[in-house]
Amino acid sequence: MLEKEIIQENGFRNVRQNGQVVGFQVRYRSCYYRSVWLSMSLGFDVSVDGETFPRDRISVTVGGRTYTQEQMKTTTEVQWPISEAAILTVSKPGGLKPGLHEVEVGWGHAASYMPMEMANMPRRPQSPTVGAAMRGMMPFTEKRKIVLVA
Amino acid sequence: MTRHEMTRKEFLKATAGAVAVTACSGTASAAPEKPGPKRGVSIYSYSDDLFKTATLEDCLAAVGDLAADGETIGLEILANSHIEGYPNPSDAWVARWHELCAKYRLKPVEYGHWVDSKLRSEKPPWLSTKESYEMLVRDIRLGSRLGFTCGRTKLGVIDGQLTPVQNWREFITMALPVAEKLNFRMMPEIHPPTRLKSKMIDDYVDFIEKEKTTPWFGLNIDFGVFQSGRTGSGAPPGQPGGRSAASEPTGGAGARGGMAAGAREPSKVEEMIPLLPYVHCCHAKFMEMDDNCEETSVPYPEIIKMLVDHKWSGYLLSEYEGEDRGRGGAFQAVRKHHVKRLDYQDQAVMADRAHDLSVPS
Repeated sequence: MLEKEIIQENGFRNVRQNGQVVGFQVRYRSCYYRSVWLSMSLGFDVSVDGETFPRDRISVTVGGRTYTQEQMKTTTEVQWPISEAAILTVSKPGGLKPGLHEVEVGWGHAASYMPMEMANMPRRPQSPTVGAAMRGMMPFTEKRKIVLVA
Repeated sequence: MTRHEMTRKEFLKATAGAVAVTACSGTASAAPEKPGPKRGVSIYSYSDDLFKTATLEDCLAAVGDLAADGETIGLEILANSHIEGYPNPSDAWVARWHELCAKYRLKPVEYGHWVDSKLRSEKPPWLSTKESYEMLVRDIRLGSRLGFTCGRTKLGVIDGQLTPVQNWREFITMALPVAEKLNFRMMPEIHPPTRLKSKMIDDYVDFIEKEKTTPWFGLNIDFGVFQSGRTGSGAPPGQPGGRSAASEPTGGAGARGGMAAGAREPSKVEEMIPLLPYVHCCHAKFMEMDDNCEETSVPYPEIIKMLVDHKWSGYLLSEYEGEDRGRGGAFQAVRKHHVKRLDYQDQAVMADRAHDLSVPS
């Protein structure tokens, strides 16, 4: 099962290739009540301790397959299930130091049954008073302090 | 003992056989049922718990636990969200689904699905008529495979009044033969800010009558249309301003740009009466339940009485959008909703029968 928090602590780790740390991963679950087609995702943004990473350095793994954010835009037959945290892999040579980090993830999605264009909306922290049905509806940012061990 | 002192069991015994009820599926029910609407729950109610603190089976078990002895409770799922591997679940998942419905005595009633017009882009051109038809039919087939006889067919919208996409008539018409063949009723959800007296409803009714779509295309009324007293506060129930308006897509805030102004004026319950022939199940929306199990913002006694009086026997699917969902409140709220829901229905049926007895035939 998923952690109640949107940004998941389990899975926060550095990524190694050929013995070199090439980046890190963080898992992010949808807080929207509906699974969405990858093409309707409006993209993921990641910052750690104030350092923001461009989208072309953030890939997304869903259902065991990894997509660039450009590839997601044309992937109309695959859903990001609400039962599964997306794994965000961020390219960062050397990775992150073990310890507590403040991780911020921004995400938004298109909704056919809502009249507005979500892509044009700024991503802001989600209001604590936003109602249950609206959570994850508007583009928003989420922040959490989590520990990276290795 | 007066009628109002009868227990529910005694009441059911007294009314057994009085009314033949036709199920949403169109098949005659074998056992006599309580006259009036049947009970159900939308798994959407548990969204904040599902996959975090509860599995899908936990939620199905909670719905099954609402039943009186031998009773079957209706079910709504959201296809995209709740079907593992959607839109292509494994045979094993489908078999497990049927096992769980049997285990917890649940009747699949409504399959929530979307015609995702903005699949490729938020800007037009949106899905073509053929593409929309294909997405729709894929869902009708899957819903039918899972035992559902109704669909909450969510259409893409073009404005703040939630007017559906311009080609909806074309792809719905194309899908009608498939829906009929698979015994599946397509129903857009009529949800605030839409009102029951509106051009949108007139357009739907014109289409239904002209194309003779009943029952394969009709309407699902969300009882949010009858909701009053919203303040837009997220404060907990019982506190000043403790109404849960923020969870409804009714607008008001700038971020909701384009949504209708004045949308908070509720529709009148009597406005649903002429629509009943087109309505095969409803979203029994509720926002907060007090400790007397009363929903104070939706006129449930009046709604249930109207449905009983008009011998409407479809499913009311409890759909909870209370503010305490994020704190695990949904499970108890749904139980509370079904307490008064039964009381109201018993009272309405008894009043109806008393009336029938007092009128010489």
